[in-house]
Formats: sequence, C-alpha cells, structure tokens
Amino acid sequence: MADPRIIKEKIFLVTIFALTILGILPVFHVLAEVIIKGSEAIAKHGLGILTSTSNGILASLVGSAILSILASLLGIPLAIAAGLFVAEFSDTKLAKITRVVSRSLLEVPTVLLGMLVYIIMVVPMGSFSLLAGAIALALVMLPYVMVHVEQAIESVPPIYREAGYSIGMTRAEVLLGVVAGIARRGIATGVLMGFAKAMGETAPLLFTIGAARTTLPCSHSIPLANVLDPGDAVPLMIFQYAQMPQKMYHDMAWAGSLILVAAFLAVFIAVRLLVKEVKT
Amino acid sequence: MSASKTMYRSDKLLYYSLLPFAAIVIAAFIMLFAILGYVSAPALRKYGISLFTTTKWAPNEANPSKSVYGLLAPLFGTLVSSAIAVLLALPVTVSIVLVIEEYSPERLRELIGSIIEVMAGLPTIVYGLWGLEVLAPFLREHVYSPLHQLLGFIPLFSCKPITGFNLATAGVLLSIMILPYMVAVARDAYRSIPFTYKEAALTIGATRYEYAKIMMGLAKPGIIAAALLGFGRAAGETVAVALVVGNVPLVSGCLFKPAYTISSLIANQFSMAPLYPYMMSVLFTGGLVLLLIGMAANTVAVIMIARARKRLG
Amino acid sequence: MERDAVRTENLNVWIHGKHVLKNINFRAAVSAITVIMGPSGSGKSTLLRSINRLIEIVPGTKVEGKVYIFGRDIYSDDPYRVRRYVTMVSQTPNPFPHMSIYENVAIGPKLHRLVRSKEELDKIVRWALEKAMLWDEVKDRLNDPPTRLSGGQQQRLCLARALALKPRILLLDEPTANIDPVNARKIEEAIKMLVKEEGITVIFVTHTPAQAVRVADFIAFIYNGELVEYGPAREIALNPRHRLTEMYLRGEIG
Repeated sequence: MADPRIIKEKIFLVTIFALTILGILPVFHVLAEVIIKGSEAIAKHGLGILTSTSNGILASLVGSAILSILASLLGIPLAIAAGLFVAEFSDTKLAKITRVVSRSLLEVPTVLLGMLVYIIMVVPMGSFSLLAGAIALALVMLPYVMVHVEQAIESVPPIYREAGYSIGMTRAEVLLGVVAGIARRGIATGVLMGFAKAMGETAPLLFTIGAARTTLPCSHSIPLANVLDPGDAVPLMIFQYAQMPQKMYHDMAWAGSLILVAAFLAVFIAVRLLVKEVKT
Repeated sequence: MSASKTMYRSDKLLYYSLLPFAAIVIAAFIMLFAILGYVSAPALRKYGISLFTTTKWAPNEANPSKSVYGLLAPLFGTLVSSAIAVLLALPVTVSIVLVIEEYSPERLRELIGSIIEVMAGLPTIVYGLWGLEVLAPFLREHVYSPLHQLLGFIPLFSCKPITGFNLATAGVLLSIMILPYMVAVARDAYRSIPFTYKEAALTIGATRYEYAKIMMGLAKPGIIAAALLGFGRAAGETVAVALVVGNVPLVSGCLFKPAYTISSLIANQFSMAPLYPYMMSVLFTGGLVLLLIGMAANTVAVIMIARARKRLG
Repeated sequence: MERDAVRTENLNVWIHGKHVLKNINFRAAVSAITVIMGPSGSGKSTLLRSINRLIEIVPGTKVEGKVYIFGRDIYSDDPYRVRRYVTMVSQTPNPFPHMSIYENVAIGPKLHRLVRSKEELDKIVRWALEKAMLWDEVKDRLNDPPTRLSGGQQQRLCLARALALKPRILLLDEPTANIDPVNARKIEEAIKMLVKEEGITVIFVTHTPAQAVRVADFIAFIYNGELVEYGPAREIALNPRHRLTEMYLRGEIG
C-alpha cells in the first residue's frame, strides 16, 4: 500500500498542472479564433473591408491610429515627467501622494474616465471629438507609463548617481543625463506598453469620440484641427458591430480584431526585444 | 544644518519644473471624484436610498418626473459576476504561481510568463467578441444545459439556460480576463517569501503538497490582495461584460438568467441619458459606486500587501 | 596663503542619528597624497564625502563644523560648485554604461563648458586618459561602451573621467578595493605621477595599511569616528604615537 502522503502529493501536482493548462488555454483559443475568423472575413470580402469607409472599417482604423498617437503625445510626456518626479523626490510628501494617487488611478474603471471627459470636454464643446477620446485615453495610459518609469528609474544602481555627483553634475543633470539615460530602455518599455493600452481600450471612447464611422475626420482645412471632429476607433467599432444581427457587421468586427491583435502582438514583441537587450 | 531637507537652487529648479506634472495627476484624480459626485447629486437627492434597493428601470418620456430608476439589479450583477470571476480564477492563480515558481525549468517559466503577459495586454474588446461568438454558445451547449439537467434541483442551476448570455458567462469571461492580474500580484507576494522559510519547510521533510500548503499560508495576505484587485478589475470591466451578460435588470438566484452590471448599464444607456432628466445623474451614481468599489478593493489590497511585507520582515 | 588644500574644523556628522564622525580636525597638504586609513565602518568614507559634500545626497544626514578648501568654507556655498574642482573616484567602478568610453571622459568638461571646440575636448580626453594610464589600451576603441572593458580598466576610466575636469583636489574612495593587483598598482602609479607632474592634491581612502604606507605622503588614522593620529607617512609607519595606530598597522584590529 502506497504512502497516503505520496498519493496526496501526486494528486496535488496533477491538479495544479491541469489548472495551469486550463488557465492559459483560453488565450490560445481567443488568438486562434481571431486569426481564423479575421482572415476568413478578409478573404470573403476582399481588402475593401479594410480600405473602404462605406463597406469597410477604414474610418475605424484611421481613427484608432490618430487616437493612439494623440493620446501618446498627451499622456507620455506627462507620465514620464510625473514618474521622474515621484522617483527622484520620493522623500517629499507631494511625491508620496502622487504615487498613491497614480496607483489608485490604475484601479479606476476606464469607463469612468470616459464619463469624466464627457462632462469636462464633450458637453462644453458641444460635440464629440477625437481630441476628447485622446484625452480619456491619455488618462488611461498615465498610471501605466508612470509605474514603468518609476521602476526603471529606481532600478538604476546608486553608484551611477554618485559618479555623476562626484564630477560636479547638478541633480537635474544626474537625473536626466545619467539615471534616465541608463533607464532609457525601461522607460521605452513603459511607453510602448502605454501605447498598446491606448490602442486597445474601448470604454473611454464610448461617450467621447462619437463613433463617426462613415466619414474620415477631415472637415477642416488645417489638418491638426481635424482632431476636433468626431471619429471612430477599432475597439468601439467591434463593440457596436458585434451587437448587430447581420453577418456582414460581425465579419467587420472580426477583421478589426485581427488588425488590433496583430498591432498588439507587434508592440509586445518590440517590448520583448527591448527587455532582452537590457539584460545582455 | 539638515542636509536632506535642504534643497539648493538647482535642485529646486528641477523640483518645481517637474511638480506641475505631478499636480496634473493629482488634479485629474480629484476631478474624477468631484465630477462623479457633482453629477450624481440630483439623483441621490431625488431617489435617495431607493436607488439601491429597487430594480425597476423605467424612463418615462411623456412625463419625466414619473421616471423610475433602480440600480439594485446592476449592482447585484456586478457583485455576483465579479465574485464568480474571483472564485474561478483563484485556484488557477495559485496553481500557476506554484507551477511557475516551483515546478518549472527556466524555459517553461519564461514561456508561461510571456503567455500571461499576452493575456493581460490583449484588448478587452477581443475577449468580449470571443465571449459573445464562441464562449457563450459553447458554455450553454456543453456546460449549462448538462448542469441544469443533472443538478437542476440546486437553485443556482434551476432555470433553463435559454441563451448563453447570463451571469455565469459574464463570470467565466471575467475570470479569464482578471487571471493575469491576479497571477502578477500573487506571484510578487510569493517571491517576497524569504528563502529561509522555503529552506525550513524543505528541511522538515515536507512533501511538495505540504510544502505548497506552508508557502501559501505565508503568501496568504498577498493572495487575498490578488483576489481583491481581481475583484476590482472585474467590477469595472465594461465592454466585454456588456456583450455577454444579457443586459436585463433581473435579480435572480439562478446563474443562467440574463443580468445587468453597472458598467454595462452605463455603456448601454449613456447615449440615451441626455434625453431623460435624471438618467444621466443615475448613471453617474452607478459610476460613483464603481469607483468606490474599486478604491475600497485597492486600499484593502495595499494594506494587505504592506502587512505581508511587515510580517515576513 | 593656506598651506593646506583641505582643512576641517570640529567636523561632526550624524547619519540617521548615529554619530559617525566626531570632532574631526583633518588636514590635507597641497600637492601631496594624504591617506585616510582605518578599518571598515570607521567613518573614513564619510570623511571623504564630507569634503565634496557628497554626504548630503544620503537622506538623514546632519553635518556640523567647517570644511575649508583652499581657505574657503564650502558649506556656505552651492554644493555642486565644490565638486567641479574636488572630483572623486568611487570604490566600485561606475563608468556610465549608456555612454561610450570617449563620452564618459568628455561629459564633465562638456557640461561645465570648459572647452570651446571639439579639438580642445579631444585634447582633454586624451590627456585624461593618458594620465589615467589607459590611453594606449582604448585609443582605438573610444566609441565602444565601457562595459567591454575589464574591471581594472573601467576604474581607470573613472579616474580619467574625474581628471578631465582638471580638478585641484582628487578624492579616491578605496579605488583599488574591487580590482586585480596589476590594475591596482597601475592606479597607484598613475596617482603618484599626477601629484608629481600636475601638482594635484590627492586624498586617498584605504583600509589596508600596506597600501597606505606605499602611496602616502601623510597619513590620517581614523578609528570609530575619531581622528586618532595624523602625520607624515614615514613617522606614522615607523613610529606611531598611539597604541591603536600601532595595533592597526600590525593588523591586529580592523
């Protein structure tokens, strides 16, 4: 008769490995479905499904590109500066408060950030706009990028600070020229993660960009002013088309998902390469 | 002369040039609370506590003052679907942490780590679409129907799963979505267990099962923190849930009935809200409740993690 | 005219309430090597860091007393100014890993605008690397990252970086503690030459009596936060007045 302790151990090991497999299996299924259904949709309707505004998702693709870039332009400098502040002046009260607040922002449901921007921007301006969406997305990115910046700065060994100070550098020169320089790949990782986050978010856009799906945002003669136009985004398009009864809309949703997932995986691989380079 | 307190001219320049950015972060946070509170106030004044104790959702176009709004059903749906998600994800989280930290060679550990990161980063709407088109029909066919037939006497499974869009599917989908966050938090907690404890557990001749039990006991506050943060995430998740929960304001003991969550209510009703007086205000009240749930979960989690650190030295 | 490059007057330092330097009256003569010698934890690194005010970047530090450099009280001045003419090399080699070998040396003169042209900068970089006895080993790979250098070479690069500002005083915090004996000798050699040829004042911290005797013109022996004995190197080595110094030199404490 076998030792019951050993039997228990065997059952335990089998269970945790089974649960691990069960836990990571769904993501493969999600990816497989997206690739299969997305490419089926594109094969069935041709590339027009991506390049047309009337029978395709062009406006969503364009809108997503504008939104991710605009949100990054707004959110990343803010996040880096605030992250540097928190990491460098960590012994000050204000930095401590900022750190706690940024960690709390991380847990705020993103739909609420869309509601906030609706009240402070959409209502006063009287219209939905890509800019409003970008501001909501910038708020979503902000705490993510900040955490990465802080961790990157804090992981720089203090001997390099000492080296900077011992040749007469000021605190700003040490922080920006030495510490941030050494941490630059960590910071870049955070920036990319933030970008990916902005690209994939849906909820903050529900009440901010207006889902203008049949026209491109180009009503103004000055190109930059077009960010005040309503627009669309791939995630928002997927959310709304998925609820339509017609098959054509579902196809567009899957095609959009394929593009979205491909873009996300591209950023993910870029991050991996960055991190690998840091290690060597 | 206290050196650490003294800042010199160039230090101050750096401090004050970075300070406005930190101030923006804090201001955004305060503004979020202020706006949610401000817009919620009229509804709270008009409906009072009945907002949280009734389920009827009846906007009245002809006579707006006769509109009735109750958030009980969505609140119930949010709490139950999030609880299901955490209950399902917790054993898997613990298993994954143990497998990664104890029973994997370097390569496998990195592979599982990468997969978890992809899970965490994948846009939530993609999970939503998959939940709608794949998961819900699958669960109805292969899980809910057999459960109902075999265990229909249990109230949880007592109703017929007419569609796959219900509380149970929302819970399952959310459990998949929050899993990577929970793993990240729990893994940090597990790693912070000092090596001496691991050594001690091994030297008393514990089997792997007994060893894992000891380790999990040590990591317990961290695991609880993971559950809380997972709960907060699940409660706030919007679009994926809106696609699978069924969007019917019901409070039912049966998991196979369609339901609503606060966030999916907001997602679905917001565009109509400007047309009805008080509806916007009610939706913001819902948002405020979500914010408070999220903050409460976060605060308790932070305290748990701090306590765990202190306890383990 | 001051004879001393550095002079401290009743210097007291507390770190997180712990009294680590007690009433130190230390001197370092111009254009000579003064060694601060003592067991680890005796406060010698703290003394060194009080001279360039690097001690202040550690939170929870309190400094009392005066430090005069060429007669000027540095604690009444901007802390960053003193570090331009009192540069330091740390114990662990710490060349900036994100810059090239060249940039590591050039960064100081560039930031402090000591040069007006690329040629001038090139000249200073070469001079500093030559003085650090590293030029011949790196002249063909100035654009490589410093991480490709050996530990000893990295430490000489740090020496060159500190020299490129043409400092009047050079502080060395156990610069050879973490490198091999061959490189250690090279650094000692380079430092002796600097004093002889450039007239630089060197303050050198070490915990090994043998090294102290090898490089010092003057020796200050620190024990438990107190300056036990100070004098010309030969006198201290051959004829210590204090029992603790004698025991330390014989290797009985520390």
